[in-house]
Amino acid sequence: MTSETDNGGARRPIAITAVVDCVGALATGTVHGNLYFYDTNKAGGSQGFGTEQLRTRVRSGDQVLWSVLALECEAYTAIDGIDIDHELCEPERRVYPGTDVAYWIGTVKKDIPGDTYYQVRFRLGSRDEPIVTTLSPSLVG
Amino acid sequence: MAQQLAIIVLVDIGNALEANSLRDNVYLFDNMKLHGSDGQGTGDLVTAIHGAYWRDGSQATEQVLNWLPYSLGSLPPTVPRGYESERALQSDARALEELDALTAKPDATDPAADLNEIRKAVGTRVKTTRRTKGRLSGQKVIDLTGEIVTDTSAGTYSYPAPVITDIYGQAVDEKIMYPAEYGSPDLVTDGWYWSATVDSSRPGTYSYSMRIQLHRLVQRGSEALWEPVNLTCESALRVTSEPKVNGFTGSGMGLLPLDPYPSSAQGAEYFQPGPQQPGPQQPGSQQSGVQQSGLVEEER
Repeated sequence: MTSETDNGGARRPIAITAVVDCVGALATGTVHGNLYFYDTNKAGGSQGFGTEQLRTRVRSGDQVLWSVLALECEAYTAIDGIDIDHELCEPERRVYPGTDVAYWIGTVKKDIPGDTYYQVRFRLGSRDEPIVTTLSPSLVG
Repeated sequence: MAQQLAIIVLVDIGNALEANSLRDNVYLFDNMKLHGSDGQGTGDLVTAIHGAYWRDGSQATEQVLNWLPYSLGSLPPTVPRGYESERALQSDARALEELDALTAKPDATDPAADLNEIRKAVGTRVKTTRRTKGRLSGQKVIDLTGEIVTDTSAGTYSYPAPVITDIYGQAVDEKIMYPAEYGSPDLVTDGWYWSATVDSSRPGTYSYSMRIQLHRLVQRGSEALWEPVNLTCESALRVTSEPKVNGFTGSGMGLLPLDPYPSSAQGAEYFQPGPQQPGPQQPGSQQSGVQQSGLVEEER
């Protein structure tokens, strides 16, 4: 089963959520051990839920939407950028209409033979420099 | 005041509705990882509760738990409160503007196509029932990017956030915790949240269950409705006995190890405790802040 709907029309975007322990990451200077990735395509074959190496099953034409969730709702947490092969996907930052709440979205341009790893840069708290994932999640064909 | 402990309940609503179960479709977190909570980010979280005691063995205070239910693959909880209703109003206003423009158009070549565009702008309003009115009133179906959805059969819509409707089980039956739902000005929980005080005087591991209400979008004739689906999941508290410690030093309670005197000369100029407001004292010291201030001056 994939993310395609029964009517064969529009597909539900695959949402990837990064849950960040902002306080833990700021205390240690790394998101390693303080980051949990999930997506909505478990039924399609995604693996590694709750780890930093989520493997999201995608196919050509899928829309992938990245967002972040802070473990402490008072803490500022945002995605600063997603470094991925642009031949495969070019995520761009958008905001929900009428708000300054951002998400990142991109379309998978082609089917992938194996894992395509990517890195996510996070803005946390009042820290000037973004923190980059040390272990890489991937999109999997 | 007791420490506030937060438990996040992250639900994969689409898969949970598909499986009609929260098993493997709920992920739990808390902010007690460094205090020994196990199973962060899984469905098997055991929340560490440190019973706080004074060094003479008497109980210092209860602990307070808060639960925050979030949805995986929905609008984030950080959008403004009532965002779905706000988007519905905006889409109505836009449709009226487009309708007004259409009627004013003298030479509409394809009014059917124009009306179809307006229909898309209107979207699909969700009919609420007695069970779903309130937080879902006045809403339309919107997608994961906040846009209005016209064709709900495409399945691109965002689910409403999950709602905890009850917390019960061993930890409640044995009076380890006393959960209740409270009204709240907190914008990310839609004005309501579940909280509990925990009797931390009885160490042990206690399970509890959460009844969580999800909503499935159903089409009845021309009407779309959010149909409530009630599911349950389990978690546990592990109460341990720990002496109350200073959170900054990790050692016993007492004064913080702060230098009562600014180290720089510039800072010293601003350290002028009045006679009615003695300055901080070193542990064991009987001197007042004024006297100590004088010593600082003499040492220079």
